Amino acid sequence: MDPVITLNAVDYAIIGGYILVMIFVGYSLKKYMKTGEDFFLSGRSLPGWITGLAFLSANLGALEVIGMVANSAKYGIATIHFYWVGAIPAMVFLGIFMMPFYYGSRVRTVPEYLKLRYNEATRGLNAISFAIMTVLMSGISLYAMALLFKIMLGWSLTGSILFGAVVVLLYVFWGGLSSSIYNEVIQFFLIWLGLLPIVFLGLKEVGGFAGFVAKLKEPLLHSVKYLGTSNNPLGVDWFGVVMGLGFVLSFGYWTTDFLVVQRALASKNINSARMTPIIAAFPKMLVPIIVVIPGLVALLVLPEFSQSALPSTEYNSALILLMKHYLPNGLLGLAITALLASFMSGMAGNVTAFNTIWTYDIYGSYIKKGKSDSHYLRMGKYATIFGVAISVGTAYIVQSFPNIMDYMQLVFSFFNAPLFATFLLGMFWAGATGWGGFFGLLVGILTAAGHYILYKLGIVHYASDMAANFYQAWWAWLADFVVTIGVSLFTAKRKPQELVGLVFGLTPKTKAAARWLARPAVWGILAIVIAIVLNIIFW
Amino acid sequence: MNEKIEMKDKKMGMGQGHVLDLKLPIGWLLSAYGVLLTVYGLVTKKEMYAISLGLNLNLVWGILMLAIGGGFLLAAFLKKDRAGR
Repeated sequence: MDPVITLNAVDYAIIGGYILVMIFVGYSLKKYMKTGEDFFLSGRSLPGWITGLAFLSANLGALEVIGMVANSAKYGIATIHFYWVGAIPAMVFLGIFMMPFYYGSRVRTVPEYLKLRYNEATRGLNAISFAIMTVLMSGISLYAMALLFKIMLGWSLTGSILFGAVVVLLYVFWGGLSSSIYNEVIQFFLIWLGLLPIVFLGLKEVGGFAGFVAKLKEPLLHSVKYLGTSNNPLGVDWFGVVMGLGFVLSFGYWTTDFLVVQRALASKNINSARMTPIIAAFPKMLVPIIVVIPGLVALLVLPEFSQSALPSTEYNSALILLMKHYLPNGLLGLAITALLASFMSGMAGNVTAFNTIWTYDIYGSYIKKGKSDSHYLRMGKYATIFGVAISVGTAYIVQSFPNIMDYMQLVFSFFNAPLFATFLLGMFWAGATGWGGFFGLLVGILTAAGHYILYKLGIVHYASDMAANFYQAWWAWLADFVVTIGVSLFTAKRKPQELVGLVFGLTPKTKAAARWLARPAVWGILAIVIAIVLNIIFW
Repeated sequence: MNEKIEMKDKKMGMGQGHVLDLKLPIGWLLSAYGVLLTVYGLVTKKEMYAISLGLNLNLVWGILMLAIGGGFLLAAFLKKDRAGR
């Protein structure tokens, strides 16, 4: 197959410039990595704007860019649910209500919180499932990047996978979480600057939003109007979207996934930690501009995506074909750099989360307890190396799934969805017991897995894979919620004084910042209001 | 030796505990991209821009990126200036 895009020297100079800066930043940070806390949590020293942009970018990996453009071409405007329903409320909730317990209890990881609040078994279960999940995600980033290079430049999959892995390995090995966070912030700017030209040119060619309205099928243009039944492009009804995606999947991901929470834990103080997800919520609301608009433009301008296209259409190539359609050399290099950056930072985020969980919650808790800090720092560096190696292996597994995004949702719903029930009860109900938490989480994960098997065997039916994922998340959450409460009623409760700082109601309220402009609640409410208005506009 | 390292840190905008002033690498990278794209836009022929609907987007975007990159550098230098006093 001939490469889709031909790059010239200017494009390569832009790509090379980015890689050099990344490696330079990683190398410059090397000398600060003296303790475990430096390497795993950036010494808890970063300002809110940096952790906020990194919080957003950690999630703007392969999934957002290629997967969301593909979803927009496939499902239309309804893709915005992943943003305005499926992200903003959860991000604000994390900042206002949950961050005081995460940051305030000085835990280093999400599983560590589970140990303090529940018991060692709950932590082990979460740490191990999370470690598995992160390397899977990391492999997804790598695969997506390799696929992009293969289609675009004709590189071999193996060559790109190894190249990406080595660059990420280098800068995470040197700079740890700080490297990862700084590169995420750089990526944030590149992704906007790289993709906006496609948005402008696309809107210009199709005649703006009026062009979409005139030329696209009606159900593609509405996010909510057709959710009364599952007879809409998503194949999901309102209950699936609101409870499955908006409540369970979204809260499960944004509030308990260590990959994103780790960014907030790197903040310099509790107010910055609470502001981190709320600062991220504002640019998050705007991300549909660079993914949904290109997806819709693809339907109109690319012959491959005409509305009579076969169901087998390879939607994941939408963005790449648009780049070829619109961008001259020069800007092409910039857009490719933006994608490269988003893949690399997606992968780096997973690798840094993995090495932290591995070192603190698995190695440091079960394999070698009570070693010196420098011992764990060294282990973190080794974990970076084998985490990258496992990701390379995972990259090959992902190839058998047609739509990367659906696969991501599947994995999230196995592990994250039930976890949110465990956290919700743990943080807001002092009666939840250690074993209640453990069995709730276990049954939740098994429910997700069982549901998936029933769906694959054809015993339960849904209008689409997406609907199956959303409902799976909901049932897994419900099972965890009910079992946690049920078991807690029959097992020994902890003394209230042991739960101070871990449970709402037993913890003194965080003192709000003096200036009202610095208060998380003020900005959080503003974000929610804007998200509601946006939802109404695109009803 | 220590002093030398500190000097280098200051030059790179680092050395405040853990925080590397991220405005500097972002500013330099975007400015360099801006210069490159602007120059490239100036030397390339009109035909190349048929696909971008006739707009010389390299030139336009290059200038924009130069402005944004310059803004970051300015902010970083102003901050350093304030800290220096």
